[in-house]
Amino acid sequence: MSSTNKTIQEKTAELSKLVEWFDSADFTLEAALDKFKQAEKLAVDIEHDLTSLKNEINIVKKKFDSEN
Amino acid sequence: MEKLKNQPIFSVSDFIAVVNQTFEYAYPNIEVEGEVSSFKVNQGKFIFFDIKDSGGSVGCFMTVWQLRTPIEDGMKVIVSAIPKLTQWGKFSLTVKSVRPSGEGALKKSFELLKAKLEAEGLFALDRKRQLPTSPQHIAVISSTQAAGYADFIKIINDRWGGLKVEVAHVQVQGSGASDQIIRAINYFNQQESLPEVIVVIRGGGSADDLAAFNDELLVRAIATSRIPTLVGVGHETDESLADLAADVRAATPSNAAQILVPDKNEIIRAVHVQVGSLLPRIMQLIDQQKQSIEDQLCKALDTIEKLVDERVVQLSSLRSVLVQLNPNTVLARGYAIVKGIIKTGSIIEIETNKAILKAEVINVINK
Repeated sequence: MSSTNKTIQEKTAELSKLVEWFDSADFTLEAALDKFKQAEKLAVDIEHDLTSLKNEINIVKKKFDSEN
Repeated sequence: MEKLKNQPIFSVSDFIAVVNQTFEYAYPNIEVEGEVSSFKVNQGKFIFFDIKDSGGSVGCFMTVWQLRTPIEDGMKVIVSAIPKLTQWGKFSLTVKSVRPSGEGALKKSFELLKAKLEAEGLFALDRKRQLPTSPQHIAVISSTQAAGYADFIKIINDRWGGLKVEVAHVQVQGSGASDQIIRAINYFNQQESLPEVIVVIRGGGSADDLAAFNDELLVRAIATSRIPTLVGVGHETDESLADLAADVRAATPSNAAQILVPDKNEIIRAVHVQVGSLLPRIMQLIDQQKQSIEDQLCKALDTIEKLVDERVVQLSSLRSVLVQLNPNTVLARGYAIVKGIIKTGSIIEIETNKAILKAEVINVINK
């Protein structure tokens, strides 16, 4: 996970919101560059998070060949 | 006769007990294959049937709870049993388990159980629960030595990260497999921290290999699990009753992994495409605004040009009028300007195109 401590889902939601802004009535060219830089950074963070996370696989110690 | 004298004399009960002890010692568990005949259930609890072939027939006894797969007359089965001599002197097999033998019997048994469980609504669509879209804690029930398990883990690791995966290693074929899987399902359902989904997987195999997944108690355990279930057994064409009872059915173990978690590579690609689409959008908007400004400038210039043209035309018109009004123009046409007092005897000035004349007024006649 990257330093911001946000989950992948939170970052993905934030990115979607930024992308929506570009299609909204609030869009201004003055703010667009900053928003674009934020979106670029989020994309890099999401990729980093997704590629660095590993699965934790544990074999249950209990034996299932008898009732106990 | 001498020899016979040394033989013990048993009571009937003792004799039966000795025979049964001998059976128990010699054949603690035998398997007998044959065709079922005279199948009947007494008092809803006890099952009696004969197992026979062309050379003989043996009576069998078991309880309904031990019968894990439906059987009927004519089906070929293998019974796992203990031989026993009853107190009435009748020889029979006390059956511990029955399994269909041969493709025909397996199919028949499958159809009978399927019809029974279907009638109970175990496979109804409205019972199915949705799996979590991105689970973080999953339980896997499989043999860790099976190829299907390896496929599943590989694809899970390729597709997603950060999962807590708990694996119950069980037998996935043969007698005892269904009981082990049931125990594993119960184990996960009793955990304090419940997994979000239970995945039961096994690779392909013969109908006999997959028979464990058509066990009635296992099918019921899957259907009644508190935790949603995903079952991927065999190849795409295989259908087990466990599949039908699961909340979600996967065609194969690999497919189960695909259903369970999203593909991170797909997400990374989509995220970059999403961001990459923003810059052209900004450029497009800049171009649009530029074009709009250019259009407005052009329009303003057009308006100015039009006004200038209008003024030029007006000026030209005025100039024509002025030219017409210019006294020299009038003089050029032959007229003359007369200046002075118009009365007889006065001196007046007459200006023509070419000369200025002084003249005396000789006579004035009013019009």
